Amino acid sequence: MIYLDSAATSLQKPHCVPKAVSYAMTHMASPGRGGYPASQTAADIIYSCREECGLLFGEEDPSNIVFTSSATHSLNIAIKSLVRPSSTVLISPWEHNAVTRPLHSLPNVTVKVASSPLFQPEATLKAFARCLTPEVDVVVCTHVSNVFGYILPIEDIAILCRQRGVPLIIDASQSAGCLPINQEELQASFIALPGHKGLLGPQGTGVLLCNSRCTRPIMEGGTGSVSRRKTMPPELPERLEAGTANVSGIAGLRAGIRFVRQRGLVSIQSHELKLIQYLGQGISSFARSFLAEDATLQTGVLSFQLINWDCEALATALAQRGFALRAGLHCAPLAHRSAGTLEEGTVRASVSPFTTKQEIDRFIATLSTLWKQGES
Amino acid sequence: MVYYLIVCRSLTYAQRTAKTLERGGISSSMIRTPKSIAKEGCGYGVKIAKKNLEKALSLLQRAELSPKHLYITFGDNSYREVSL
Repeated sequence: MIYLDSAATSLQKPHCVPKAVSYAMTHMASPGRGGYPASQTAADIIYSCREECGLLFGEEDPSNIVFTSSATHSLNIAIKSLVRPSSTVLISPWEHNAVTRPLHSLPNVTVKVASSPLFQPEATLKAFARCLTPEVDVVVCTHVSNVFGYILPIEDIAILCRQRGVPLIIDASQSAGCLPINQEELQASFIALPGHKGLLGPQGTGVLLCNSRCTRPIMEGGTGSVSRRKTMPPELPERLEAGTANVSGIAGLRAGIRFVRQRGLVSIQSHELKLIQYLGQGISSFARSFLAEDATLQTGVLSFQLINWDCEALATALAQRGFALRAGLHCAPLAHRSAGTLEEGTVRASVSPFTTKQEIDRFIATLSTLWKQGES
Repeated sequence: MVYYLIVCRSLTYAQRTAKTLERGGISSSMIRTPKSIAKEGCGYGVKIAKKNLEKALSLLQRAELSPKHLYITFGDNSYREVSL
């Protein structure tokens, strides 16, 4: 199988990741629940993972690093901490359902969209500046579109939010592990990220970087401390980490983050970008691909449509030929509406540090053959 | 043996406390807070030798890690709170 769905989950992991998961499963017990070695080792590995996250994301205080089950979980905590009923929230036109659905679930929330075209960061920033009016209570913005790989000018948006005193929640689902994210510089209220994509950890892991005094648990339960209290403790990260931690997942995530830090973000980004540019150029004569003219505006994600093919039928035909890609709306109907692809959808190819040029060559050749054959 | 126990607000707080002391050259060990002094239920504390108290408190103050409580014990399972 040639795997081109890393924007959903990075399937190819460094060997250290499954090794760490397996070791933790058989050697580590509940962290923070006992004074015996298996419990202490679990607590140590979790703390060490907080430190690794802190080094990668510019967060000095490990207490501000909360482990969750996914970026969606992280976004739910962030949104439900800051957005109150009847709030007004400004979002980008490229948001995933992990942002729009939690917002929709809150009563009487007004959602404003800072509409602007794809791959135009100046227009994106202008739209945010125009829409960030006094009634806006919170801004939620993705760093990178999960459908088109568009890198939004998040640093400038963060400055704008700080200047206007509006809290910012960043969805770093597609950028964590391939682009620099520095909380010390961004000073976002929350940054949500998954463990199982660019950070190369296992599924069921996520992180929430917290820089807000307002944190609201969406789940209550045991924390291994201050047990007599009827409410969750006020201290982070325990306040947002009820129940037994996913120790084996976090151990795997720690190994993944270490791999990313060793290989380097510049190397990963450059590798993925080269492949996506190569793919976009390779299919340009027979496909409509959403490739940024300025290569620095895109990550290793490329959406495309093949002439005379339905996107789901094409993904199925590709699967039958050994290629793993995702088609449709990618849980981001707003992004598709913004790009004008809501009705037909797209097929999305997304690469990882382990994808090779030879794999892209085989993919281009197969797509070309399918295009010539047409959808039967 | 006489030692001080720095009682912390949470497990992570205790881990940060222990790391800060370690970086400052003070050896410590993290333990579950004895039930007799865990006023709010389960908790964690960091044990340090008597001679290191002053330096430890200075390091923690610089790192903005304020102990929740401080106890002295004489190795007989009795703890006496020390005002901070």
